[in-house]
Amino acid sequence: MSTVLETPARAAGTTHPPRPWAAVLALARFEARELRLNMSFLALAVLYMIWIVWQATRLQGDFPILQNVDRGTQMMPVLIGLAVMLNVNRAVLRSRRRDTDRHFDVLVVEPWRRTVAHALSAVPAALFTAVCVTVQFTWAALKPGAAGHGSPAELAVGPLTVLLFGVLGALFGRLFLSILAAPILLVLLFFAMVFLAPPAGNNWVNWLYPVVSETGSDPFPSDLLERPAAWHALYLVGLVLLIALLAVLVSGGRTTAVKAAVAGALALTLVGAVGQSSGTPAGSTPARERASVTPEKIRKCIEHGRSTYCAFPEWTGRTADWAAVVDRVQNLAGGRAGGERLTVDQRIDARYGLDSDTSLTPSTEPGHVTVRTDWGGNRIPEFAVAVASVLVAGDEKAGTEVCDARMVTVMWLALGGASDPMSALSDVRLDDSVSGPALVLSPTEPFNMSAEQTRIVAELLKKPRYDVAGKVKAKWTELTSPDTSMARVAELLNVSAAAASDGDACEE
Amino acid sequence: MTRALVPPVWRALPRRALAAAAAVGLLLAGIPRMQSGPPDPLVGLYALRAAALVFALGLAFLLDDPARHITAAVPARRPVRVALRVALVAPWAALCWTAALLLVPEEARPPVGALTLEAAATAVLALAAAALVVRRTQATEPGAAISTWLLATGATAFLLLPPHWTLFVTPTDPRWQSTHTHWALLLTAAATTTALATTEPRHPHTPTPH
Amino acid sequence: MSDLSPAPPSVPTVSAAGLTLRYGGTAALDDVSVRLGEGVTGLLGPNGAGKTTLLRVLATAVPPDKGAFTVLGHDPGTSAGRQEVRRALGYLPQAPGFHPDFSAFEFVDYVAILKELTDRTARHREVRRVLDAVALSDVRSKRIKKLSGGMRQRVALAAALVGDPGFLVLDEPTVGLDPEQRMRFRELIARAGEGRTVLLSTHQTEDVAMLCHRVIVMVRGRVRFEGTPAELTARAAGRVWSSTEREPGAWAGWRTGTGSFRNVGEPPEGAELVEPTLEDGYLLTLDGESSEVTAA
Repeated sequence: MSTVLETPARAAGTTHPPRPWAAVLALARFEARELRLNMSFLALAVLYMIWIVWQATRLQGDFPILQNVDRGTQMMPVLIGLAVMLNVNRAVLRSRRRDTDRHFDVLVVEPWRRTVAHALSAVPAALFTAVCVTVQFTWAALKPGAAGHGSPAELAVGPLTVLLFGVLGALFGRLFLSILAAPILLVLLFFAMVFLAPPAGNNWVNWLYPVVSETGSDPFPSDLLERPAAWHALYLVGLVLLIALLAVLVSGGRTTAVKAAVAGALALTLVGAVGQSSGTPAGSTPARERASVTPEKIRKCIEHGRSTYCAFPEWTGRTADWAAVVDRVQNLAGGRAGGERLTVDQRIDARYGLDSDTSLTPSTEPGHVTVRTDWGGNRIPEFAVAVASVLVAGDEKAGTEVCDARMVTVMWLALGGASDPMSALSDVRLDDSVSGPALVLSPTEPFNMSAEQTRIVAELLKKPRYDVAGKVKAKWTELTSPDTSMARVAELLNVSAAAASDGDACEE
Repeated sequence: MTRALVPPVWRALPRRALAAAAAVGLLLAGIPRMQSGPPDPLVGLYALRAAALVFALGLAFLLDDPARHITAAVPARRPVRVALRVALVAPWAALCWTAALLLVPEEARPPVGALTLEAAATAVLALAAAALVVRRTQATEPGAAISTWLLATGATAFLLLPPHWTLFVTPTDPRWQSTHTHWALLLTAAATTTALATTEPRHPHTPTPH
Repeated sequence: MSDLSPAPPSVPTVSAAGLTLRYGGTAALDDVSVRLGEGVTGLLGPNGAGKTTLLRVLATAVPPDKGAFTVLGHDPGTSAGRQEVRRALGYLPQAPGFHPDFSAFEFVDYVAILKELTDRTARHREVRRVLDAVALSDVRSKRIKKLSGGMRQRVALAAALVGDPGFLVLDEPTVGLDPEQRMRFRELIARAGEGRTVLLSTHQTEDVAMLCHRVIVMVRGRVRFEGTPAELTARAAGRVWSSTEREPGAWAGWRTGTGSFRNVGEPPEGAELVEPTLEDGYLLTLDGESSEVTAA
């Protein structure tokens, strides 16, 4: 062999100063690289990034509510956490499975320090998650239609979850010598998380799980969330430390400092757990009661054109979007309705908690239209329907009860000005159809549309807008009278009438 | 010759992993019975699904053979050896699954045939992955990697599959039927993959130089 | 290698006194005292003689029940001393394990980290140096599972050498290697012994004859012989003879390739004495203590 050992003469003893913690960091870096290059982690990381892009561009729409977006970042990191946990676990068990323990156990870095390094190897994955979460949130916050406030504590849950799963992988690796233990425990954990937790969000047991995402149909104003988010983040930090230190303790680091740190982490976890134990109120609180029953004391009213728009403080920036819809609908209306002063009231029923899907009762005040806290997508044509029904029937309550031929006018007013009226029609209908009878959604109560009404509306929507608009304005009084028959409406609007059936939805 | 192989193959099975998976799977299936109050069909359904997943996690270790480089050279061909392993475990797996089904109270028990299809597809998927890894790489113990892969895939499918492709629906869902067509397709694909992956490689592998 | 100093180590780097370790009822080590100096010391003995146990004790893998030892002046009895010993130690365990998915470089790098080589650039340079030294530079980025047995053994040696340890403990490093690989390995170990203390456990008397400046023979947990290879060979002087017939009085005898018998034991009057080898001295030192020997 021609190779030469370059240091024939060597100094006895150590040639480098002992730096035990630098070695731990170097090992953590090595293991983090192994994790990063692992196929399952890579695949899930890529999937996660695709999901972020998809949900920001497709799912979320243009009007994100930031106090919901922050909670929305919490679920996907669980998937990353899964990959991190199983890989950290495998890395911890690697030297045992491959029989290198005999060698490594006489090396300078002791097993408990190696455990610290394994726990730390999850940190880059957590940082990656933190970056993803930040991008996801910032993307939403930068949208012109964004409203509300995010909470840093809610945003911290995702990265902390990844870290928690990572240290759990290290602990399981030190507790159970089988490689099968971690996957099985993970299934048990997930099962317990999904099915054994009591359903209500106010239970303290619920808050012991890393991710507590409560979402209902209506975004709440951020001061009504009343989630113990900061306590929960503190609890997670404590739990991460506790589990990591337990893993160190199990692998032989039984120094006083470690024991003291375990006690400290336990205290931190308990403080967090107690702090969050009241949970989110399931039902009403004085603030929620006030926002639900007497919202006028909280809302701010802003005038755009003829009409007034009253929104919860976090939504005032959105009133212009509402005004655009109101103007668009009102421009198609004739008679007095075309110049009527409307009042748009933003309403919410927060008395049943974050998880609830509540319905609002239609307003009985003349000229008042309800808008909910959610906006964008189907909520826009639904609001347009409510505006049109108030213009035609006078008030929202009467509007939702319209079943006769006025329905045609309402629907045409609501949708005729939309950029794509036919798709707007399918959007407001519960079954997404454009023919046959269906329920039509509005911010308050839904109402029925018969097959014949649908057919006529669809036919009108396919005609040139100015053509129909002229006829609607000209015949406004007759078209908005409850006594006008379907056949007459069809005739007025120059649409072929069905031969036999009158076809309104009133008899249903 | 095959009969003579039975005792050594039986001894070589990762029996501890299989037994642990069986025990935990049965524990999961027993949860609905342990709960107070009337049995919840949703919990019953997902307890069985979780049990099926845990059984499959155990089966992911079925082809683990630390002595693969030695056994690869024995005259008994690979399909025979794999088939023998599967045949030795299949009755136990069937027994465990039946026990799991019976553990769930009748009022909470989802349709047995459909759930068995799901469980079989999951198990064969694990086997197919293990067989593929064994064929493609020189890994002797693919179980650990497969279990990670199986869990990650399962969780991803559960969280992210779009509504019309979802695999996890409740019996009352109108998609129950179509979903189980998908499960059946999955089972067929996995079984085919397993069969193809366990045939003797056509070209001689470059052997590990020893 | 023939001019190795026959003198006992003047400045011992490792000195152990009264090492005793019992597993259950049997004494794996029974009052073992050794002094090791710079250069390669061979450790011979039949299976079960306690060689691996002695190596594991000296490598700080297991503490002895009784006795004490120092390595480069550090006492592994204290935890701080043990860390110092480990900082100065290179260990190649018997039938070492590997991480099959790591490349040779990664594996040695991993060991280097565990030896507290923390500066990344310096560490990588050191890893490349030892891989170079064991002639694995060409395959350093290959996964270990793709390497041959001899290459893996060299990876293990590189892992032992990394960090330039002052005390190298090698447990049967040449097992399973073909003659050429063994030759290369000897060269490597001889080079490693330049300026270091190397303790080499082996079954191969040729390894000892060619490499070691001192040799220790262990039998049943005790040191039966400690001296130079020449001294061990000298034990057989006048006790190896050749004959045309099988000699019933010989302690061991076998027919050689030339057709005559080579005998070890007490020669009869007028026997044709032949030059003894180290193996003859070793066999006579064992003196029928091991069933292993009579089989050989």
